[in-house]
Amino acid sequence: MHELLAVEGKLYPSSSKTHITYQFHIPTPLPSLQIDFQYAPKKSEDKSGSRRLIEQSIEQYVHPSMQAAYMDKWEQYMPLQNLLTISVDDPSEFRGSAHRHPEKQSYLLATSSASPGFIPGAILEGIWRITISVHCVVTPDCNYLLRVTEGEQHL
Amino acid sequence: MKWHPFELHTHTPHSDGTHTLLEMCKQAKELGLSGIALTDHNTVSGLIDSDEVTKETGVAIIPGMEWTTFYGHMLTLGAPYCEWRDLGPADIGKGIERVHQKGGIVGIAHPYSMGSPICTGCHWEYEITDWNQIDYIEVWHETMPSLRNHNAQAFRLWTDLLNQGFRIAATAGRDWHRSDNDKNLAAYTYLGIEDSEPLSALSVVDAISRGRLCISMGPLLLFKILSDQRAYGIGEVIGRTGEERKRALTINVSLQQANIPERQWIATEAHSVIIESNQGELCRGPLSGEDFQFSETIEADNLLWVRARLYGLQEGLLATLAFTNPIYLESH
Ligand SMILES: [Zn+2]
Ligand SMILES: [Zn+2]
Repeated sequence: MHELLAVEGKLYPSSSKTHITYQFHIPTPLPSLQIDFQYAPKKSEDKSGSRRLIEQSIEQYVHPSMQAAYMDKWEQYMPLQNLLTISVDDPSEFRGSAHRHPEKQSYLLATSSASPGFIPGAILEGIWRITISVHCVVTPDCNYLLRVTEGEQHL
Repeated sequence: MKWHPFELHTHTPHSDGTHTLLEMCKQAKELGLSGIALTDHNTVSGLIDSDEVTKETGVAIIPGMEWTTFYGHMLTLGAPYCEWRDLGPADIGKGIERVHQKGGIVGIAHPYSMGSPICTGCHWEYEITDWNQIDYIEVWHETMPSLRNHNAQAFRLWTDLLNQGFRIAATAGRDWHRSDNDKNLAAYTYLGIEDSEPLSALSVVDAISRGRLCISMGPLLLFKILSDQRAYGIGEVIGRTGEERKRALTINVSLQQANIPERQWIATEAHSVIIESNQGELCRGPLSGEDFQFSETIEADNLLWVRARLYGLQEGLLATLAFTNPIYLESH
């Protein structure tokens, strides 16, 4: 199983609303591409910190006349969670994304099929890109691992 | 013109929905929907099954996507994937242009939902420099939409923009993620499509672009304005000269029952029609007769738009049950 990319990184709340793009080269067409991605922690355990963030959100996003009612029910938004999603671009086109919550994800892209969210098609030689969209980091830090390998089998 | 009930905001496991396209369309069929728009978060891969699912269920599937960005969620219809990841909070105009160039239209999804970190990017924070670029606003979001706070604000935003002279369509969107037995009802977005036109991305985009929409918890609410021997329908523009502007207008409202039994209760409850405009409420009254009609002559100057709203009891609660998109007026 040939490894094409293996990276890890550490994110902070200030990493929220950023994209991290890795680009790597595929020298010859492949039958399939395996992507494994995970990050941790997923949920914030910090109750008072979360409460502060929720109250800030209510002040920012709720109509002033309704804010008091929302403040009373701040706990309905617990726990706050980190959200990182990945998307893939082949040498010429967008090949899909996985906008979903689980903190451990594995995907296969192949010529005639692909995991949900991704678009089947040839795994051509050239520069490929995988983008981690950091929608939100609410924990003091958040570690991720991304690994791309030549797929073991056709889907 | 035939009016087709649509659901314009849906998800499948290709993003974070839990029902497959087939499961969703089977339930859409039971709900009496003619079509849905598939608007998965940031991908269009779910469309791979659409021909087969339409063949099996008879429900039309319109290609779309929900741009699920850091600064807002934007629905697109009738366009392939368009790039969003390089856009900052002041760049949405550039992004919208990409969708328009591909023949698609854009709508702001749930503009007043909670934002990050509670719901990432869900509150609209993009700076809009030209509201003419916005094709529609999802003013009714989720089930039981007329009872939700964030929709009241969206409805007000839409009305304020109409008052400023912008012609923007309003839609409903269930933001449908799972086919469970939710007792809470979602609204229909009825789209006015020419009899000869098939239900396609093209005809749906055209209907929304021309403002031929009625949003309803069940029955189809239609209205016409008679001006100088001509009847104008929802979305149309009445052009008048200075002299004609002073002439009275006749408004005809009609209500047609929904095509499924579960939604027919609405037209049998106590209700009234309110005709409203940039000049506020123009008149109101009950629908009467077997075919639920309401007619009134109004005299009002400086009208920019007029819409009809159905107000009444929804399972015992007083609420807006349906509203039309406007008929517009302009003077030459
Ligand atoms: Zn959304
Ligand atoms: Zn959505």
